[in-house]
Amino acid sequence: MRGVSDMTATSSEISQTESGPKANSIDRDDPATFPDWFRARKARSNLIVARWVPIVLVGLPVLVLFGIVVYPTIWMFYHSVHDTNMMRLFQGNWSYIGFENFATVLGSDRFWDSTVHLLQYLSFGACLQVVLGTVLALILFELVKNNALRTLILILLVLPMMMSPSIVGVLWKFLLTPSNGAVNQALLNLGLISKHIEWFNSGISLWSIIVADIWNWTALPLLIVYSGRVSLPPAVYEAAKVDGASGWQVMRRITLPMLKEVIAIAFILRFTDAFKFVDLVYIMTSGGPAQSSELPTYIAFQRGIREFAIGEAAAYAIIIFAISAVIITLFLKYLKRVLKAQGIA
Amino acid sequence: MAQVNLQNVNKIYRSGRTEVHAVQDLNLEINNGEFVALLGPSGCGKTSTLRMIVGLEEISSGDINFNGKRVNELEPQHRNVAMAFETYALYPNFTIEENLAFPLEVRGVPEDERRRKARDIAEILKLTSILDQRPGALSGGQQQRVSLGRALIRDPSVFILDEVMSHIDAHLKFQMLFDLKAIHRDLGKTMVYVTHDQVEALALADRVAVMSNAKLQQVGTRNELYNAPANVFVADFIGEPPTNFFQAEVSDNGGGLALKTKDGALVFHLTEHRAGKIRALGGRDFIVGIRPQNLRLKDSEGKSSAHTGSDVHDITASILINEYLGERSILTFANGDTKFRALVPPETRAAPGEAVTLGYRPEDVMVFDAQTEALID
Ligand SMILES: Nc1ncnc2c1ncn2[C@@H]1O[C@H](COP(=O)(O)OP(=O)(O)OP(=O)(O)O)[C@@H](O)[C@H]1O
Ligand SMILES: [Mg+2]
Repeated sequence: MRGVSDMTATSSEISQTESGPKANSIDRDDPATFPDWFRARKARSNLIVARWVPIVLVGLPVLVLFGIVVYPTIWMFYHSVHDTNMMRLFQGNWSYIGFENFATVLGSDRFWDSTVHLLQYLSFGACLQVVLGTVLALILFELVKNNALRTLILILLVLPMMMSPSIVGVLWKFLLTPSNGAVNQALLNLGLISKHIEWFNSGISLWSIIVADIWNWTALPLLIVYSGRVSLPPAVYEAAKVDGASGWQVMRRITLPMLKEVIAIAFILRFTDAFKFVDLVYIMTSGGPAQSSELPTYIAFQRGIREFAIGEAAAYAIIIFAISAVIITLFLKYLKRVLKAQGIA
Repeated sequence: MAQVNLQNVNKIYRSGRTEVHAVQDLNLEINNGEFVALLGPSGCGKTSTLRMIVGLEEISSGDINFNGKRVNELEPQHRNVAMAFETYALYPNFTIEENLAFPLEVRGVPEDERRRKARDIAEILKLTSILDQRPGALSGGQQQRVSLGRALIRDPSVFILDEVMSHIDAHLKFQMLFDLKAIHRDLGKTMVYVTHDQVEALALADRVAVMSNAKLQQVGTRNELYNAPANVFVADFIGEPPTNFFQAEVSDNGGGLALKTKDGALVFHLTEHRAGKIRALGGRDFIVGIRPQNLRLKDSEGKSSAHTGSDVHDITASILINEYLGERSILTFANGDTKFRALVPPETRAAPGEAVTLGYRPEDVMVFDAQTEALID
């Protein structure tokens, strides 16, 4: 408190030193140390309120944050090196086993299979979404010049993203039902296939999930890139026209390079989501058949929440975290380089 | 190379219910290889005119022809016009060198030739030291020069330069005006140069087109604009310090026709030719204009310092202010309620309050119709 009154109005400081004994307390006449709105409250407890309100206001969120983020994270790291399962947890007699959980995970075919699935999902799900979203956004911007029409198309394209994943999962499960699902029916009617495709068979089920996810999430990179394109300065495009650049030259040399960081952000968002991607897997295939569409996150969920192998699930979570941290860091590094090259960061 | 011809060109911006008539019935013929400056105050429609020539703005009505061929519907890419933008419009993701070379790049010019040309132009515009930087890191004047360079590096039929020196310091501007003039002489290309600085316009251009209020006021050489301004606006806009104007009426007092200011304080004698014209027009109101340069102080012996010839008339006034500007001084006079200025040599010693005699020649007196503000010549 001393510090506060030191920094504020010097006139009140002077009057305080003159009045001697009051010098070290809060000056009730000085609005800087003692806001008016305290005065309206109970006169006695003013001092306590003035001291504790800030501490409580800052402290509560910190506590909550600690409770839901920091503590569980520590808890996870702790149990990843213990043989914890549900029964041991309740009995309180888990014991330290070093990196055995990690060894189990890394030594299992299940994990490596799921990692391959994850790579498939990243390259054909997340990446394709960004590519597709970028292409759609730029086509929409360049070809549709009518504002009302643009908005309408945007809304239609964004609709899938506004559905909850569980509904999307159920919807696509219906659409892809082999015997009488809409997709097979349509393909049959068009004469593209001669018999039903078993969409949820081993080897195909992961692709079904990826298709549903593309349908669900392509709109996000689309929106990001579209808004990025809208905010590019029109004068630059006029200059390019006058300089004689063709539409394709403008796209390749000006639009795409200027959208680099925006596209990188779209990648980061889709990639971070990829490491949390459980919902459609759970609803559409439950990782099956025979674990052929499992992703590491799904296994962590399966082992931890449904089979109570808490230590092993924690090890899974940490490994996933490590992989995602590496990939996202690479993206952020790239983003920083792009921004730096433009003199922004 | 091209001859550019604008016929009855109009530009009307519509947004919602408001309409801005930015360019009105503009007729302008720019000859092959000519350097024309478009001069006018802010907001008079200069940039709008340029944007229509380049093809960035739809022409509301009228025609624009290059070499007699109508180009109204031609896209900017196909008009072969180089433009330096008022707002620079540099490519933020390119280095300065890439910015300069981009017009060549899209034309498929090989890389080493691009580099060479970019370095040549950078040399002229003093940009060599910043070729590797990006536009975001440059000062306004540097960006402006890059934008000028990006236009000059090309080999177009017409150069369009929109206020390319507004952010250049006076010292560098002097050099750049010279360089630009030399470039024009070497290339012999048609150039349209927009500015609101008459010094630039008069220094560079073969002819100057003066615009005001969306309309073209007059097109002419420096001398035409200076000695026979088409109307009060041009007379006021061209010349530093601005022309002195007086509301006047005819006073015919035996000794020939003269124009007397409304308060009767000053009388201006006219040439025979003009007096005849004014007599024919009858007793309406006129505006008299006389340039500060054409009012000369008379010394104690009654001799005007620079006016030679016999026909010099006098007016008297007292000095209000003496502004010393280095290579010249501006004196402000008052005669009754009428105030006016004269340009005098810097060594002139004149104290405020002092009454002096000024000489002028009748041929320097410009007379305008008070209604239409048009010159009576
Ligand atoms: N895109 C536009 N939409 C609506 N009005 C416009 C637009 N561009 C210009 N105007 C209006 O047209 C008039 C002429 O503008 P213009 O840019 O041609 O002026 P200018 O002579 O170039 O002025 P300056 O010297 O300030 O650059 C102005 O009144 C301006 O407000
Ligand atoms: Mg302008």
